[in-house]
Amino acid sequence: MFKNFFLAELKYALKEPMVYIFLGLITLLTFGATSSGIAFFDSVGNAYKNAPHTITVYTTFFTLLGLLIATAFYNNAALKDHHNNFNEILFSAPISKSGYFFGRFFGALVLATIPMLGIFLGVILGTILAPAFGWVDPERYGNFYLETFINNYFLFILPNMFFAGTIIFAIAIKWKNTVISFVGSLVIIIGYIVSGSLISDIDSETIAALTDTFGIRAYALDAKYYTPIEKNTLSPSFSGLQILNRLIWIITGIIILTISYFSFSFREKSTKIKVPKEDKKEAKGTFTLPKLNPIYYWKTELIQFKSFFLINFLSIVKSASFKILFLFSAIILMSNLFGGAKYFGLQSYPVTYKVIDTITIAAEIFVIIILIFFSGNLIWRDRESKINEVIDASPHTSLISLSAKSLSLVSVTVLLHAFFIICGIFYQLVNGFYRIELDIYMLDFFYTSLMTYIVWSGILIMIQVLLNNKYIGYFVSILVVFLWRYLLSFFDVQSNMLSLGDRPGMIYSDMNAFGPSLTGVMWFNLYWILFSFICLLIAGALWNRGAISSLKERIQIAKKQIPKNYRLIVLGTVFCWVAVAGFVFYNTQVMNKYKTGGELEQLAANYENKYKKYEDAEYPKISDVKYFIDIFPYKRDVLVKATMTLVNESESIIDSIHYSIDSRWEPEIKIPNSELVLDDKDLEYRIYKLSKPMNPGDTINIEINTQYLSKGFENGMGNTRIINNGTFLNESRILPSLGYQPRNELSDKNTRKKYGLKPKDGMPVLESTCSKNCMKNDLTNGTADFINMEATVSTSGDQIAIAPGSLLKKWEENGRNYYHYKVDHPSQHFYSFMSAKYEVKTRKWKGIDIEVYYDKKHPQNVNMMLDAMERSLDYYTKNFGPYLHKQCRIIEFPRYSNFAQAFPGTMPYSEGVGFILNLEDEEENNLVDAIIAHEMAHQWWAHQVAGAAMQGSTMLSESFAEYSSLMTMKSIVKTPMKMREFLKYNHDRYLSGRSNDSDQELPLYKVENKMHIHYGKGSVILYALQDYIGEEKVNTAMRNFLEEFKYRKPPYPTSLDFMKHLEPQIPDSLKYLVNDWFKEITLYDNRLLKASYKKLENGRCQITFNIEAKKLLANSMGNETPMLLNDWIDVGAFADSGEERLMFVKRVKIDRPEMTFNFEIDSIPAKLAIDPYHLLIDRVYEDNIKTVIEIMPNNN
Amino acid sequence: MNKLIINNLSKTYPNGVKALNNVSIEIENGMFGLLGPNGAGKSSLMRTLATLQEADSGVATLNDIDIFNQPEELRKVLGYLPQEFGVYPRITAEQLLDHMAILKGITNSKERKQLVNYLLDKVNLYEKRKKNVKSFSGGMKQRVGIAQALIGNPKLIIVDEPTAGLDPGERNRFYNLLAEVGKEVIVILSTHIVDDVHELCTKMAIMDAGRIVYQGTPQNAIDELDGKVFQRFVTREELEIFANNYAIISNKMVGGQPFIHVLSETNPENGFELVKPNLEDVFFSKINKSNVLV
Repeated sequence: MFKNFFLAELKYALKEPMVYIFLGLITLLTFGATSSGIAFFDSVGNAYKNAPHTITVYTTFFTLLGLLIATAFYNNAALKDHHNNFNEILFSAPISKSGYFFGRFFGALVLATIPMLGIFLGVILGTILAPAFGWVDPERYGNFYLETFINNYFLFILPNMFFAGTIIFAIAIKWKNTVISFVGSLVIIIGYIVSGSLISDIDSETIAALTDTFGIRAYALDAKYYTPIEKNTLSPSFSGLQILNRLIWIITGIIILTISYFSFSFREKSTKIKVPKEDKKEAKGTFTLPKLNPIYYWKTELIQFKSFFLINFLSIVKSASFKILFLFSAIILMSNLFGGAKYFGLQSYPVTYKVIDTITIAAEIFVIIILIFFSGNLIWRDRESKINEVIDASPHTSLISLSAKSLSLVSVTVLLHAFFIICGIFYQLVNGFYRIELDIYMLDFFYTSLMTYIVWSGILIMIQVLLNNKYIGYFVSILVVFLWRYLLSFFDVQSNMLSLGDRPGMIYSDMNAFGPSLTGVMWFNLYWILFSFICLLIAGALWNRGAISSLKERIQIAKKQIPKNYRLIVLGTVFCWVAVAGFVFYNTQVMNKYKTGGELEQLAANYENKYKKYEDAEYPKISDVKYFIDIFPYKRDVLVKATMTLVNESESIIDSIHYSIDSRWEPEIKIPNSELVLDDKDLEYRIYKLSKPMNPGDTINIEINTQYLSKGFENGMGNTRIINNGTFLNESRILPSLGYQPRNELSDKNTRKKYGLKPKDGMPVLESTCSKNCMKNDLTNGTADFINMEATVSTSGDQIAIAPGSLLKKWEENGRNYYHYKVDHPSQHFYSFMSAKYEVKTRKWKGIDIEVYYDKKHPQNVNMMLDAMERSLDYYTKNFGPYLHKQCRIIEFPRYSNFAQAFPGTMPYSEGVGFILNLEDEEENNLVDAIIAHEMAHQWWAHQVAGAAMQGSTMLSESFAEYSSLMTMKSIVKTPMKMREFLKYNHDRYLSGRSNDSDQELPLYKVENKMHIHYGKGSVILYALQDYIGEEKVNTAMRNFLEEFKYRKPPYPTSLDFMKHLEPQIPDSLKYLVNDWFKEITLYDNRLLKASYKKLENGRCQITFNIEAKKLLANSMGNETPMLLNDWIDVGAFADSGEERLMFVKRVKIDRPEMTFNFEIDSIPAKLAIDPYHLLIDRVYEDNIKTVIEIMPNNN
Repeated sequence: MNKLIINNLSKTYPNGVKALNNVSIEIENGMFGLLGPNGAGKSSLMRTLATLQEADSGVATLNDIDIFNQPEELRKVLGYLPQEFGVYPRITAEQLLDHMAILKGITNSKERKQLVNYLLDKVNLYEKRKKNVKSFSGGMKQRVGIAQALIGNPKLIIVDEPTAGLDPGERNRFYNLLAEVGKEVIVILSTHIVDDVHELCTKMAIMDAGRIVYQGTPQNAIDELDGKVFQRFVTREELEIFANNYAIISNKMVGGQPFIHVLSETNPENGFELVKPNLEDVFFSKINKSNVLV
């Protein structure tokens, strides 16, 4: 019986086109991903386009999408008989329940997995065809492994389709309603998203991995620190979290299936018999047929529209599916609000724009899904209710009914969004945050989400009307919504005029409100609204009234029947749309022409090909710069005049000066006695030939004028550095750069290959004897050494302008504010110029002004920032050396980017990272302190001593700054274990960074400006080192190094110069650390095999560590070789299971892979650990700690 | 006086079925019955007249409205009850009729309310007007359908098998209602129940395989057969033999024994007796030319 139903199910479906359509689509999608140059998901860098890891990522992703496919098959299997009214005949026949139930279920299961095989087909086809046709370089493909396919099928495809199937099948059998089945599949997706909202902080990764029904996050966690080699060779395995996750969900699925089976019966669901209520007998008078005056004019249409609208709107709002979706979207939003958006374990104040961001992330995609779902629902509603013929034969225009449908869709989204906003406000109030900006909620909704919903309503309704099949309509809608943008990027199209419903990005900032793109956003909105209306008009003309007919027939009917005024409306709308399109086009493509990603790549390649020959030419260095900068914040214009002295510091004669320019700034360069001999406007390169060449030591004075004048609106967000409130410029933006700029070159090696370029040269190799490369410092790349600077900056009368240095003079002129700044000590050629409406708070610290310039909405953390600056000054002046500026400023800038940066004595700090973080709870990691300490440390590491521009230089700036920051944090934490929390983020930064890096890995002392190495690894290693050899020793090495090189003329120091100062500080027993940690890539793989204790007769307790330890040497590709162990490693005992109190710690020598240690301690511990402070880099740290078990004394 | 003229209407479906084959009829005020077996093309014809389907060729006009080129105009004077009439979920009878009245141009809300109440009373649903229509029984739903077809001042009412699912009382009520309305407008009633046509219609047509095989008054049709229809009981075994020798119009069981009607210009003797023809005989004689046992 089982076999009959099973085979019948397969036979039936294999004769239908659906399974082949889905298989074809998925094959096509993966084929596209595999054979295009664009990186999808993780297939970046060194991983092959067909690497096992890539295939697994595709598989896990597509099983998510495949849910809709599964729903179709399971729903069909469960409801086929019911829909054909065959159930009563079938179920009264003598068939076995289990045969029917399981036959159908497993038939559908097999069917649901068939389209998923398209993933493999697509990858295989792509691997064969793409290199053959020369679309992609053959080197981007590697070998296939059979187990990749098998394991993916059995680990992801089959279990996911099974689990999803149990739920959908159970729902379908129970409620016998297709809509509810689809809602069921949405619920599964929502469950997935909710489990994902747990992952935003690394503490809860494991929970997120286990609660993910699809196993996607379990795999992601397993593969998190994969090196490129591992990505290219390892298939997902039946082990670890993965298998645990799969087992959990398969068992859950079996339980659901069992329950469903036992509650299923062939007997018809007996509809509840309600006791009929007594109808109220009313005196019903006599009814007469009124004299009717049917009239048809514009008002009739209005009333019809209203009636259609109400009927449709209420039908959605009252429907069970909407209520379920409504509830779930609220749950998602709440879980995102309350659980999400942590950064280093910290949460922001719930400022309105943050809440809006969360709402947008949680809601927009969800609302689009609702739009897709209900657009199909509304379009097919009349037909499914079998009332279509009556409605269609009534005298209304199709456009009226369709626009009412579309308005009811939009209204539903407005309703939802209004509810989201209420949730958001509720969240703000619950958090005791009372600065609720209702106007911003409303405006943001109006400018962005509402417009998106209106545009998509029109488009989706048109799709449903044109395709004339609900499910194909759904599928195409989903493709259009989610894949259109990929398609555009594939063809290197960036115009928002082609990306459906898109508009320039807009970021709300407390400082600068909706910012520079608002005008553009409004115009794009108008453009898309008109487009959407055209879609509706098309749908109205081609709406299938009456019998189902093909698109061709409908077009013929439309040609015949469309009335003249309808044609006029269409023409009028199209005309308006074309006019708006023209205006938008003029602004975004003519007046503010931009270059697409592809064009920029081509230009960069041409630039390199043509001018790289000048890279090693000698240029004079800049000194004594005077800036005259006029900022017009409300016109968003900036005028710059800079005078400077150029000095030939080289040993050769310089006969020409080269500039790489940014033509948007229209630079005018005045070099006396020179001639512009090359002016490449495309590649933005100029050469000025000096009539009198500069001999070594010669100087010339030059003047440079630049200007940035804003006009119209742009396709993108526009310039976010020159804005109404919060202008933030630096010298490299406003001035042309001297000479050829290697930083303009393409960096990704695969992109370079596409343009026929060899992989980019790394930084100059670290050299022990100094050559020419030591004459340039890393920060300014040889443009200048330590120099004097003065700046006169003017801005509007209501703003303050700030440049580095002491304020010499301030005055007003023509209603504008003028400021004259001068640096007190020669500094790096690295300056910021800022202007905004600031509040200022100051303190004095040993004669130094410490100041915070902030927006009046953000006073919360200002005192804490002042404290942090004081603390940093304390620690750094004591341990490293004196501070040589007279002021120390933190200046807020809008959150268009989230970073802080150190200029001489001046530190711009984004409103997004520090000013709105909630630091009231002092127990939490104080990120603001950490960032300020980091930037303050740069006043020593980078601004007093900077490395020579070669490998290892950023260790001397970033690693040192991050280490300094950790040390100030260490001086204030209450327990040493707290530092482990901080280190954890640095460990993670290093390990995930190296996993995703496309270049070969280098050891710390040769770091080539890689963030994961100089921030992540560098800080961990220096911190561990001070734990191993002592804080004072490390600081002494750093102090001596600083003393030797600070503010010194070239040659600049290298990381080897620092090692010279460090090595004397390290005791012989630990000398191996220098090699292991700085000069090699060393990883540890330590674990505690067993943690036990035994009560002793003296009342004390003996603890036993069974340790397995490995030290691994990784090469640049991530291949690991085991090394002989002869290392000192901590073992420790925690008093509590929360690992907050370390009651015992001992550094032991480990010289064998497996060792056992016994210690006697006072009381029973909760956990034992190897490396309890997490000082060593260990890819899996969790297994270093184990809860103790008791060994009974009588056992021995 | 309204006049519906159908001229040479033809429609072939993509699968090759000829739903309408050169159909021409003229219909004036009053009830017009359209008889035909299942699949004869009745519904196709009605849908075509209700602007829900295109014809391949032919013309249809109501007074001066060209149905195929001015569907909007026709819809303003059309009342239509399709064969399958469903309703929206989660909506009451009152709301549904109100919506339909709005669609039919009744913009005055007071008039509309009066009209809806009147119709609900007419179809005996006034007391259930606040109930969810979806929960109605088939017959009640059908009555809602009838009510909506009468909304406005239709000049052409098309009802496709309207009495399916109605009990005899409801059926009578419905026909009275139709007859009342039908005095001044054209009512086209499609059905396969011969008696309905006989009782109600002044004019009728019989369709078979997309063709009009008869049109005229019911009485004329019956008169044509006067003196030509004979009947007798036969045994089961004889049935086949009789079928071969006589033009059998119909056979049915009466008291458990086959009872046949045959068509013959002269008295076939052999136990046959002359019978007064009824419309059923007309119907079967028109569509059963090949003397198949039915």
